[in-house]
This record gives sequence, structure tokens and C-alpha cells, in this order.
Amino acid sequence: MPQTWRLLQHGARNAYDNMAIDEAILRCVTGRMVPPTLRFYRWQPSAVSIGYFQGLEQEIDREACTTHGVDVIRRLTGGGAVYHDYEGEITYSLAIPDDYPGLPRKILDSYDALCRGLVIGLRALGMPAEFKPINDITVNGRKISGNAQTRRSHGILQHGTLLCDVDPHLMFTLLRVPNEKIRDKLIAGVEERVTSIRREMGSVDRERVTQALIDGFAEALDITLVPGELIDHEIALAQTLKEEQYATNEWIAMR
Amino acid sequence: MRPTSGLRCADYKAPGGKLLRVRLTVTEHVTPPLITSLRLTGDFFMHPEEAILDLEERLVGAPLEARTLQERLQAFLETGVEMIGASVEDIVHLLLSAEEADTL
Repeated sequence: MPQTWRLLQHGARNAYDNMAIDEAILRCVTGRMVPPTLRFYRWQPSAVSIGYFQGLEQEIDREACTTHGVDVIRRLTGGGAVYHDYEGEITYSLAIPDDYPGLPRKILDSYDALCRGLVIGLRALGMPAEFKPINDITVNGRKISGNAQTRRSHGILQHGTLLCDVDPHLMFTLLRVPNEKIRDKLIAGVEERVTSIRREMGSVDRERVTQALIDGFAEALDITLVPGELIDHEIALAQTLKEEQYATNEWIAMR
Repeated sequence: MRPTSGLRCADYKAPGGKLLRVRLTVTEHVTPPLITSLRLTGDFFMHPEEAILDLEERLVGAPLEARTLQERLQAFLETGVEMIGASVEDIVHLLLSAEEADTL
């Protein structure tokens, strides 16, 4: 019988709330206070997130971010810097216990298994999507989605982004490039290496794409997704995590 | 010869893996030089994430020489840490390829 998961369709929040909520959900899932959870959300204001191990100054032009009204946050997960444009992407997160039935024990294999939902969803929309190890999804060889996991307290949190529309100029204004000479080359290279829903489908119908992903996860993981809400404990926990961690400069500039 | 800060930097894209970056300081008066401080950054994964501090600590005091670095990294992984997108060999290569940098 399919497992029942909670589905959260959140609108837009700021970066600090978003990352704090993902961790609060993970903690409540591992504490068996809520069922495994799939969440969709957006970023307002738009934000750049960097991976747990990245150097802030190495990756981000903070001044440019301020100029463009873009927030900067460090994720709990490793991986690379991502520009989360309010219009330009769909973000999801999922949280499950690490002994979830049928989930491969090896982390690399679990990326494949958990990304299946996205792959199936994109294929249903007509795109020949494929999982590309370590943690990407590509369409015709171009990256359309990046994903990242953390594992703690016997739980797994995976979050990821699906590109809807890409503005390489803005992206490389916010992100640092090794040297100015290759900036134009990098911008041109985005065309080659990256794609988006707009490029593949000609337009972006967020609702339709999100529904395809929801159906994709349901099929890939053989689950029933029941719309729900955050519980009070998650809301309170997220508030604390935001104030004590995610919104602090100690955390953001940790390395 | 101009005096050096002892600061060395390197970037290394592991084949099939992730981008690793290091900034380290060394003592210059011995051969091989000893690592006095080190910061490893990049878009790799490590589980648990907090273990990165343990890894950095274990490398401080080590001579910048392949065998010792390899041994220390191996001992680090044996504590049960999992690295993804970066191997022991990748990190050794990164550290040994670090070159003098002019500024902090």
C-alpha cells in the first residue's frame, strides 16, 4: 500500500525562512511528529544560496547582491551556489527518515531514487530528462535541476531547484568569476550547459509544471500526497532556527 | 628573494567530482613545509557536514607531503565520514598543488 506523505505548497518567503523551514520539517519528520514531507516554495526577495562548504567571499559578490536586492544565505547542504530567482525557478524539498522503505542505502544511489520524481515529471511534460550523477538532472545534456542532501538525526533532507528561466548576465553579476576576462565566456557557456523550462517548452506555466512534479514524485516513490500545513512546532522551530542560525552573519560568513 | 606570507592557494576540479579550493599557511623554514592553518572550501558534499572542522584540524601540523596527508585523510574517513565529489587523492593533489599567493 502506498505510504502517505504530507504535501506543502508554500508560496514565496525570504531565504532565511525558507532554509529554516526545511530544517524544521526535517527535525519533525525524524521526530515522527509529521509524516514524510514534500514541499514546494519560492524565494522573495530573490536570493543566492551557497553550499555548506563554500567560501562566501570566494563565491558571491555581496555588494552586487545588495544592489540588486538579492538576499544571500548559506544552506545546510553541500553543493554549489544557486541563484534563486523569484520568477526563474521552482524549488522543492523533501524530508524522510533515513530508514525509509526501499530507499537505497548508498547516498549516491539515493539521489537517483529521490530525483526520479523530477525526471518522471519532466518527461510527462515532454522533456527527455535524465538523472546525471552526482546530483543533477539534465535535458538533452544540459542541466535543468541541481539537488543537494543532508543527513542528520536519522533523517534525510533533499532540496533542489528546477530552472524555469535563466538570466546568465544577472547570475554572473551576483556570483564571482575566477577573473574578469572569462566572464563573457562563462555567460556564453550557460547557453551550452544549462537549460530551462522556458527554453524547452517555449513558456512557463508554473502551476502545470509543479503539478507534473507532484505527480512524478507520487509515481516514482509510490506515495499518496495529502495537502497539509506546517504544525505549530515546526513554525516555532523555524523561527528559532532563523534567528539563531540562518539569518546570522556568523552562519552566512562561516567560511 | 622577497619574503613570503606563507599563504598558498589552489583550486582543483576533481575528475567526475566537484571543485575543491584550499587556502593554507605553511612554515617556510623546513622541507617539506608544515601546514600551520588550512581552509578547505568548494561545492563537494560531506556527511556529517560539521566533520569538515575535524578534517581541517587533522591536517594542521602535517608536512606538505603526499604520504602523511594521505594517512591523515584516510584516518579521518575511518571515523565514518562520507565525502561525495572529492576523494582522498583529490584533496592530496589539491594541497600539493597549492601555490604561493601574494595577498591574504
